[in-house]
Amino acid sequence: MNVLKNLYNWIDVRLGAREIIDKKRSGYLLPSNINACYSLGSVLLVIFALQIVTGLLLMLYYVPDIDKAFNSVSFIMNEIPLGRLIRLCHAVGSSMMILVLLLHMFSVLFMGSYKSPRELHWLTGFILFLMAMGISLTGYLLPWNQLSFWATTVATDCVGTIPIIGQYLVELLRGGKLVGFQTLGRFYTLHVGLLPAVITILIGIHLFLIQRTGVSTPPFGIDNTSNQWKSEKFAYEEHPGGIPFFPNFFLQDMISVSLYLACFMALVFFFPNLFIPSTAYMPANPYVTPANIKPEWYFLANYQTLKLFPSEIIGLTVQVTALAFVALLPFLDRGTEKHPLKRPVFTFCAVAGILLWLGMTVWGYYS
Amino acid sequence: MIGCTTTLILLVSFILSSSILASAAGQQVIVCIQCHTGQPAQLSQPVKLWQASIHAEHGIACNACHGGDPLDSVSAMSPARGFRGTPLPTAVPALCGGCHMGVMKYYALSAHGKTLGSGGPTCVTCHGSHNVVSASLDLISKKNCTPCHTFDQARLIRSAMLKTEGMLKAIEKRISTLKSQGIETDGLEKRLFALRNRFHAMYHSLDINLIKQESAHIQAELEKSNGVGGVGTGPLPGALAVGWALLAALLFSLIKKNVD
Repeated sequence: MNVLKNLYNWIDVRLGAREIIDKKRSGYLLPSNINACYSLGSVLLVIFALQIVTGLLLMLYYVPDIDKAFNSVSFIMNEIPLGRLIRLCHAVGSSMMILVLLLHMFSVLFMGSYKSPRELHWLTGFILFLMAMGISLTGYLLPWNQLSFWATTVATDCVGTIPIIGQYLVELLRGGKLVGFQTLGRFYTLHVGLLPAVITILIGIHLFLIQRTGVSTPPFGIDNTSNQWKSEKFAYEEHPGGIPFFPNFFLQDMISVSLYLACFMALVFFFPNLFIPSTAYMPANPYVTPANIKPEWYFLANYQTLKLFPSEIIGLTVQVTALAFVALLPFLDRGTEKHPLKRPVFTFCAVAGILLWLGMTVWGYYS
Repeated sequence: MIGCTTTLILLVSFILSSSILASAAGQQVIVCIQCHTGQPAQLSQPVKLWQASIHAEHGIACNACHGGDPLDSVSAMSPARGFRGTPLPTAVPALCGGCHMGVMKYYALSAHGKTLGSGGPTCVTCHGSHNVVSASLDLISKKNCTPCHTFDQARLIRSAMLKTEGMLKAIEKRISTLKSQGIETDGLEKRLFALRNRFHAMYHSLDINLIKQESAHIQAELEKSNGVGGVGTGPLPGALAVGWALLAALLFSLIKKNVD
């Protein structure tokens, strides 16, 4: 124990560790009515860390070459000790990351936490969501199996519907006319290099913004649920009489992370193929198109929307408009009320939008 | 400034460059199919039949049996390029036996083989010529056998092979399930392929004693294959992992209750 105490003192005199911990214990107070939804951000941090760790381990054996990629993944899954577990954790983790991100965004949406002064929090979060979808899409191609090859072909084809520059963008993404070794090289670079770096920076900015403004007050269990922010000058949102982050809310974070890990492990061990269809275990064959090729579940709504409209450009325009609307929501919704039941029009529209997205996803799956 | 601009231009060119495009040329359609597909029914029908055959499934094209040059439309049917047209019925077993050597050996020793040229069946009698079907118990049927003889002997042979065929099918299904879970099955597939070929070749001997004896050997081999595979993450480690995570959640919530 003395050794640990001495080590703590050694760090403290150099970095002021005690001051940081004391500040977190008493200085960093959170709203007294804070709920478990606020810990979804911490769950996402854990998921991202797990993706990085498992991704790095996979990189030890994965070969980004169209002739070797599939076999290298098969080798990881069948020959490397714990390789199967690590690969499944990475593959299932990517879907879980999107799922938890969606839940996090929904909770922010319904609790009105995106309202002033947190427009930038929402915007960085939304960009993070797009980046997460991007990193999942680029990672999808890497095992070079039938599903990944054809899903990437379909996904990159969609970009071609953009007027004038569409075909150039398709070639830029693919590195050629068709999905081939250049596409694999590009997607690999994006997946393991550029996108993780961008995501890490965006997470840093997101956390910095939260630290600067303080945590928003949830609109539940209090009388005044309107936004208290005054736009005259910057002010940190204090929560006098609130609960300290450490250890109180840190423990809530740990509970949520543990529950997430229980669900995650249940999926990895007992239902790993829920997110991985059998075509994902067949090597890519550019000459044989599998029947009913579908993108990952989080792209199914986009896929179905494109099919729904007579012209793909209309489908694409509708989607871009919807995305822009969601991204700019804090700038469009200037009402001060945060409680979902006290702003019924917004709540109705939000629920309808989510149900529409779910409906399109289910329709896309069965179409 | 000029240096920066040049670097930027070079970088953009590097990203945009598609000069070394992968020439993923389309799968070459052999000229026989190109030409015969547009021919009147009698000449185009073989293409349709072949497309549904086991040969098409394994990429065995027209030239494998008919000879010729499938890549040169001008001399595709030139005898100088090995084109042999429709083989004579008596030449069929030797032609098929060029690839299916094990089958040929058993066929030649059988009553079928011994009556070749005097009304006995050739390979195409049961397996078809263009719509070639693989060896299976379905081929040993009243429809196929009774035009020439009674079904009695055939029925005995069929029932002697029934169990082994069932085992082969079950292992095939199992391999398919394992493959759909990303489990390496190459070794198992190769072993099954060899055993199935050995078994199916034996169909052709028509010797009931040999079939019974060999079936027993093959069944013993298949039993060995039955335990292979199944390299999974397993339910016990899964239950432990989920259990630990739930226990941690419970522990943290107890501590939190204490702290609150």
